Amino acid sequence: MLLDNRKGAAFPLAFGLLAAVLAAVPFFADLFYQTFLTEILVWALFAISFDLIFGYVGLLSFGQALFFGLGGYAVAIPILKLGLGTGSGLLLSVAVPAAFAAFVGFFSVRLTGIHFVIITIIFALIGSTVGETWFSLTGGADGLVFMAPPLDLGVAKLDMMDIRTTYYLVLAIVALSYLFLRRMVRSPLGKVFIAIRENEERARLIGYDVRRYKLLAFVIAGGLSGLAGGLYTLSLKYASATFLHWSVSGHAVVYTIVGGAGTLVGPMLGAGLIMSLEHYLVKLLQATDLVVGAVLVSTLLLAPMGIVGFLRGKRK
Amino acid sequence: MPGDAILVLEKVCRSFGGLMAVNYASLSVRKGELRALIGPNGAGKTTLLNLITGIHTATAGRILFKGEDITRLSPDRISHRGISRTLQITSLFSGLTVYENIWAAAQSRKRFFNPLARPEAWKDVREKTEKMLELTGLADKAGTVCSELSYGDQRILEMGIALSTGPELLLLDEPTAGLSTQESMALVKRMRAMLRGQTIVLVEHDMGVVMELSDRLTVLHYGEVLAEGTPAEIMANDEVRKVYLGK
Repeated sequence: MLLDNRKGAAFPLAFGLLAAVLAAVPFFADLFYQTFLTEILVWALFAISFDLIFGYVGLLSFGQALFFGLGGYAVAIPILKLGLGTGSGLLLSVAVPAAFAAFVGFFSVRLTGIHFVIITIIFALIGSTVGETWFSLTGGADGLVFMAPPLDLGVAKLDMMDIRTTYYLVLAIVALSYLFLRRMVRSPLGKVFIAIRENEERARLIGYDVRRYKLLAFVIAGGLSGLAGGLYTLSLKYASATFLHWSVSGHAVVYTIVGGAGTLVGPMLGAGLIMSLEHYLVKLLQATDLVVGAVLVSTLLLAPMGIVGFLRGKRK
Repeated sequence: MPGDAILVLEKVCRSFGGLMAVNYASLSVRKGELRALIGPNGAGKTTLLNLITGIHTATAGRILFKGEDITRLSPDRISHRGISRTLQITSLFSGLTVYENIWAAAQSRKRFFNPLARPEAWKDVREKTEKMLELTGLADKAGTVCSELSYGDQRILEMGIALSTGPELLLLDEPTAGLSTQESMALVKRMRAMLRGQTIVLVEHDMGVVMELSDRLTVLHYGEVLAEGTPAEIMANDEVRKVYLGK
């Protein structure tokens, strides 16, 4: 395909099948695995939000944790301190981080390469320092624990204290977010992002205001990272300043690189794979980080484009 | 200056540290003309193109395009005013296919990029892309990732990208650099077909190519305009022969 937009039934079929399997999980898996899958889905969303900015625009941002953590607090604080509902919390978990991303991005997208990486780390460090010291608002590293009010969808009230209901809500939101991103990276806007990733100077010379498009991608990615943090907090009923720490971004970086940057599917697969690996290995040995490190290094050596990138390269 | 001048440089200067790369350069390019910029290495030719396209900003002087001052505009704004260029070192979207490369330029004139639209919906962009594939002779390589193209094809593709923005003025920076004589000849032939009627400023070292393609020549020397004229006039100019042709 000339524009690499594969048409046909393959995608809807695969997507439908996977969605059906995931929707059926609560019928044969116990509550522990439902919780575990919820967590994987949340981190998969975090990973694809990072993939937008890294895999499609080419900006290595270690600042996504800031938006993830803010998304968590955007759910917890309104519920706990303002008496708002779960629905408003989730909307705020997109809006507040997106607004912060606009601010951070305004300064960051002027920089390139390693300078961009460093400034995003610095912003996340500022965020986590503020989060840890502003105890009265954030609860610091201890965090905030809350009871999630039911989510009123008009036709139904979802009990957010129920693990299965939470799982379905997270599944639906992550699936929609994925479809949104998939459509976007193939849209005319996505072509601009990819052009910038491939050659910034050339993109500028054919008339694209590179900074503006980088900022736009940064805001969208920030909003979605925030949504991931919001869902994480909603599923745990807990938000903490530790979520803001820049190293939390490292999860998304590792999942994306192992799964394949610039593929969307890859980072989700990476999240599932590595989190499962950690889960099963922790019974055998304590040092799971060592295994994750080994997986990361072998991916970089054997399949630098990640698992999905490697498979696509073989098919061509 | 004549009223049909599309590009006018008025006493343009650019210094890097203490070095005057472009020193009070004035010139005027007419619509439809192919103007070659020649001069020894370091004469300021590429810097001049960088000033016109906003990659660098002039430290003094003015650059007028279609009568409007573009001296301080950014490269993307200048592109939208109607100036396009190729670079001395090939500059492509290297991981993308030939088709995607041209598409990226062909859609650049659109004002709004809908994040939820399918690009296929833009028939005009598709037609523009396909037309350019024909014009460049790369239609049968449309699906090839451009880093896998021959160097000569890459040079042609870059011209195709530059042309796909629909420029009124095209700047070409050493299109034949690094090509064999044979490849050069093929490129010049292709350029004649692709660039018919286009206003062009060409920087080129190969004097054969310059003499064959250009209407007028401007000779730069240490950032200054040394001479200007038809190819025959320039060849006959004693000063030019002394500093540039070394005779």
